[in-house]
Order: sequence, then C-alpha cells, then structure tokens
Amino acid sequence: MTTEIQIESYLTALRLHLGPLTIGEREEVVREIAAHVRDSAEESGAAVETVLARLGPADELAAQYRDGLLIRQASRSISPLKLLRATLRLATKGVFGIFVFCCAILGYSSGVVFVFAAFAKPFFPAHTGLWFQDGRFVDSGILHFPPPAPPAHEVLGMWLIPLALTLGSLTLLLTTWAIRTSLRLSQRLQSRL
Amino acid sequence: MANKRTQPVGGDEPDRWEAQLRKGALEMAALASLWQGRLYGLEIIRFLENHSQLVLAEGTIYPILSRLKDEGMLTSEWVEAEAGHPRKYYSLTDAGRLRLRLMAEAWTSFSGGVSRLLEPVLEKKENPQ
Repeated sequence: MTTEIQIESYLTALRLHLGPLTIGEREEVVREIAAHVRDSAEESGAAVETVLARLGPADELAAQYRDGLLIRQASRSISPLKLLRATLRLATKGVFGIFVFCCAILGYSSGVVFVFAAFAKPFFPAHTGLWFQDGRFVDSGILHFPPPAPPAHEVLGMWLIPLALTLGSLTLLLTTWAIRTSLRLSQRLQSRL
Repeated sequence: MANKRTQPVGGDEPDRWEAQLRKGALEMAALASLWQGRLYGLEIIRFLENHSQLVLAEGTIYPILSRLKDEGMLTSEWVEAEAGHPRKYYSLTDAGRLRLRLMAEAWTSFSGGVSRLLEPVLEKKENPQ
C-alpha cells in the first residue's frame, strides 16, 4: 500500500511540474513513467524508493520534458511571444542563448520601429522622415518634435511608407527565421546536455 | 543547475566532462538500441546498460525518446503486456534509420581521429619512463 502511495506522490509531482504541456501530452508522459516504475520494481525486485531514485527527482525529469518542448514548439512557431519566451529560456543556459536573445530583441525592435514609422508618416508627415541639408544626412526620426529647421528638408516624403513597411517586414521575417534556426541548432546542442 | 554550467570543464572535473560526453552520445545510443526492432523504455535502458556505460539517471532517456518521436525519428505504440499494464514501444522510422546511419558514420570517423590523436598519451601512461 505504501509503495502505491510513493508511486502516486511521485506521479503527482511529475504531473504538477509538467504544467505547460497539454493534458494529452502530460498523461502520456505520466503513463509511461508509471509503467517504467512498475516494470522496473518487478524486474529487479528493487524497492520502489530505489527505482524512483534511479529515475531522478520528479521536478528535474519534468524540466527536461518542458524545456525541450518549449524550444521545439517555438522553433516551429512564428509568434514573437513564443519565440521570445523560448530564447529567454535559452538565455539562461549559456552564452549562445544570451547572444540569440539579444539579437532577437534587437531584430524585433528594429522591425517594429520601421513599421511604426510607416504608420506615423501619414499623420505626422512633417515630423517623421529623413532630413538632408546640402546633400548631406542631418537627422532622422519618428514624431520628431520640433523637426530639424530649414534649410534641412525631409527627403523621402510619402515614399517613406512603402520603404519603411518593406524594411520592417524584412527585418521581422529575418529575425523570425534567425531565431527559429538558432532554436533548432540549440536543440541539437543543448537538450542533450 | 545554473552554477553547474558556469563552471569550466577543467582538469579538476573529469567526472563532469565524462558525464557530458555520455549525455552527448545518448541520443545516438537510444536510436542504435532500436536498430534491431521495437523496444519499450525500460528495455532501451537495460540494452544501453548492457552495451555501454551511457545511462546516468534512468529518467534522462524518456525526454530524449519523446523529442526523437516529435522529430519524426521514432514512432511509438502502446501494447498490452502480461504485466497487467500496457507498455509504450518505440520503433525507428525511415528518417530515424537515416539519421542514425549518418550519426554512426560521423561518430566512427571522429572517434577514429581522436583515438589516433590520443595514442601517444595512452602509450606514455603505460610506459611512464
């Protein structure tokens, strides 16, 4: 009876720590581990404590499933939220992760700035753009109050909208692709360690 | 967990280095154990114990199997057993066979090179003078 309680409390802890998985995935894991514990105890005649100890702590076992799954699912996703969560997780694991995380932040923020510029231009045409004076670059900005004084003049005009949208989309696409590639790469390296 | 990673793999930590080496080979070993046919988790663990010194905590193998399945390298099915409860059997897919073959080739050429590199070191150990 006590062995049943020991097994159940291990499985409950496992289930608890497997939180982020779907119910189906979670129950599949628990069912497999339960079968392992029963088989292992029967086969070797070992005490359930020994079998559970050989399996490792429930929270550590669950963490191995969770990390793998988080990164794996994100590497197939295009959701910035999922991708950032996974890179943040990766960043806690080493220098490569920190580098990926920083690049992700930089990539997303540049993309968003470009897109924002495209949306700001129609509403604040005099305060958004690229300013030149005597053929040389002077300033650039979005919602630039006050705008650079004449003779500096804004050179892009409404062309800024398609240009910024294209650059913004390309930056966001490239960032998404780069994060997904890095996550896949990290799977090959990290999840084994 | 975090402080484990920040520590360098140095001469004073051969155990940790060896542990990482084993873990690095575990995925290939898990695939290799299924080369002859389907096995369930505990059988894979016992197979690896009998043929190598790769398994550390027994739990480690299950998340690896789950990942390999997710990547399409393995398939699994629950099979009723005499034990009274079903067991989850894993088999290699064609993609899994291909990956294992490529891993085995890479491993053999890599380990051959490293062994040649280390020959003088081991000879020295046997004849220190």
